[in-house]
Amino acid sequence: MREEVLFEISSLSRNPLKVKGYRFGREGTTPSCVIVGPMTGNAIDQLWIASQVVRFLRQQELANAAFIKGEILVVPTVNPYSFNMGKSFWPLDNTDIDVMFPGYDKGETTQRIAARLFEKTNNYDYAILLEARKDHVECIPYVKVLQTGRENIDHARAFGLDFIHLKEPSPSDTVSLNYNWQIWNAQSFSLVSGKKGVLQKNEANKVIDAIIRFLSQKGLIDYATFAASSGNIITQNDIEAIKSTAAGLFDALVPIGECVVHGQPLGRIFNALEGTLMQTIISPCDGIVSCRYDYSMIFQNAIAYRIIKAEAALNRYM
Amino acid sequence: MIEEVFSVQLPVNETLSLKRNRFAPSDITKATKRISIVTGIHGDEIEGQYVCYLLAKWLNANPEAIKGIVDIYPAMNPMGIDSITRGFPFYDVDLNRTFPGSTSDFLPAQVSNAIVDTVKGSDYAIDIHASNIFLRELPQVRISRANADELVPLAEKLGIDFIWVHDAVTVLESTFSHAMNTLGTRTLVVEMGVGMRITKEYGQNLTRGLLNLMAHVGIIDKPILPPTTLAVSTLNSEVFFINASKAGVFIPILEHNVSVLRGEKLGEIIDPLLGVVQETIISPCNGLLFTIREYPVVYEGSLIARILEDPKEEASV
Repeated sequence: MREEVLFEISSLSRNPLKVKGYRFGREGTTPSCVIVGPMTGNAIDQLWIASQVVRFLRQQELANAAFIKGEILVVPTVNPYSFNMGKSFWPLDNTDIDVMFPGYDKGETTQRIAARLFEKTNNYDYAILLEARKDHVECIPYVKVLQTGRENIDHARAFGLDFIHLKEPSPSDTVSLNYNWQIWNAQSFSLVSGKKGVLQKNEANKVIDAIIRFLSQKGLIDYATFAASSGNIITQNDIEAIKSTAAGLFDALVPIGECVVHGQPLGRIFNALEGTLMQTIISPCDGIVSCRYDYSMIFQNAIAYRIIKAEAALNRYM
Repeated sequence: MIEEVFSVQLPVNETLSLKRNRFAPSDITKATKRISIVTGIHGDEIEGQYVCYLLAKWLNANPEAIKGIVDIYPAMNPMGIDSITRGFPFYDVDLNRTFPGSTSDFLPAQVSNAIVDTVKGSDYAIDIHASNIFLRELPQVRISRANADELVPLAEKLGIDFIWVHDAVTVLESTFSHAMNTLGTRTLVVEMGVGMRITKEYGQNLTRGLLNLMAHVGIIDKPILPPTTLAVSTLNSEVFFINASKAGVFIPILEHNVSVLRGEKLGEIIDPLLGVVQETIISPCNGLLFTIREYPVVYEGSLIARILEDPKEEASV
């Protein structure tokens, strides 16, 4: 393993922001893969995942010199400044680095960070971004593949996760790292999981296993892994969003990953002053809970649950 | 007439509601023109509040002049405005990157969807922004190049200092103005002043410009003299961006809204610990200094100034 500072950004009063990379294998060896950790300072699961992947690769490499067969670069986080302050976005202007790609080296600070990161990571065969969802939810681990016309969905199956979300890019997706990697010819994926602000080791460890499985199946490491799911490909149409009709205290009854049936109570909302039951949220379909609202106070019309509908099993992609 | 256009219950004994004030003639027909004045999408931008006040005050005082519908929406992000929060509180997202929104998405997108739904059908819309807290801006209208032919003549009626025609950027497809222009409402984006502050002169001039535009399109029938400012546009000249190459504290030398010469000193980035100048900021061209940094602390890359190049300079080469 070789540790290096990929780039630095200076600051008025703090020590410079140093973005570190951990390299495994010889440069120029194929296949190659880059893994980039969180760009927001509250994606703790993703930081855990990235750091544990570095640990795993280093330990295995020390035990077996032939363990690394390709070239791997892991960038555990791009935004230490925000992690160290408990902030989500760039500390000065609250901009999101992941809407700045491919970046601009003569532009604003976060555009420059994006440009420098992109320059260091855009020449790999496979590119993996560790991502927390931007809304207030916790979710099961899944692979997000953006539908740019350059994607090869079969590669995503090598992670062995249960679900692969094939997503049509929105305008804001076009300035994300995942999208721009793919436009520049990498097979790119986001591994989305967890809940912002806390470490959920069980879910995070599934993502670590998925990355190891992917690296093994793609010939980047010499390591035996168990077979896992072949990946159910879903699109937006396969997901049912279930909204609250009331506001108040939210009592979630069903965890993520659980199979539910039509008519099953998923959660309850109580009046925050009088304690009366305002709504019992009922599942409108059979399926698997993929996302759950992650805060105990809920707005009216908030998306309380997302369910991958069982009828998606008839999806043509499977 | 005050109308509620969207409401949602908050967890503890509060309703979030979006309101508009509608001024309309007594006889509305299909031919009646409608304009929507929208502001407060970013909660830290207050300049538009004063414009809404002045406009509503004028319309209250001149009901006989109203021949079309004028809808004033002062606060599209009410919690943000009342808490100095730029984005949509709790969700921490920029509301102006969630348009056109959706009823089946998270709350900010539902709010965006409601704004689009209520403004839809207007002939014209004006989206008033201040700058953020970091930059001070000369009053300007920003127009995507694809809409320039249709919107520049309209923007000229505002009598505003500067019209910036810029290239299309995909991410801006998620803004209010793009959503409304796509739906056929001719929408102008105004930027002026600085975040968290009100510049009275800018507000007064823009209000006069809005009334002039409304008179021009038949929404009011009282002639208004536009501000005397002659708008300059970027159609024949370039905008230069000047970003910091060093971190430090920016100390401006020039005031905002002045002509500058190539090589002229705009300011310095200093280091308070070392007592040295880290960088001297120099103008790269002759032109109009229309953006200047207001918040002093800078990182490498922080925007310091923008200059509209003097087109005469190119002609003389």
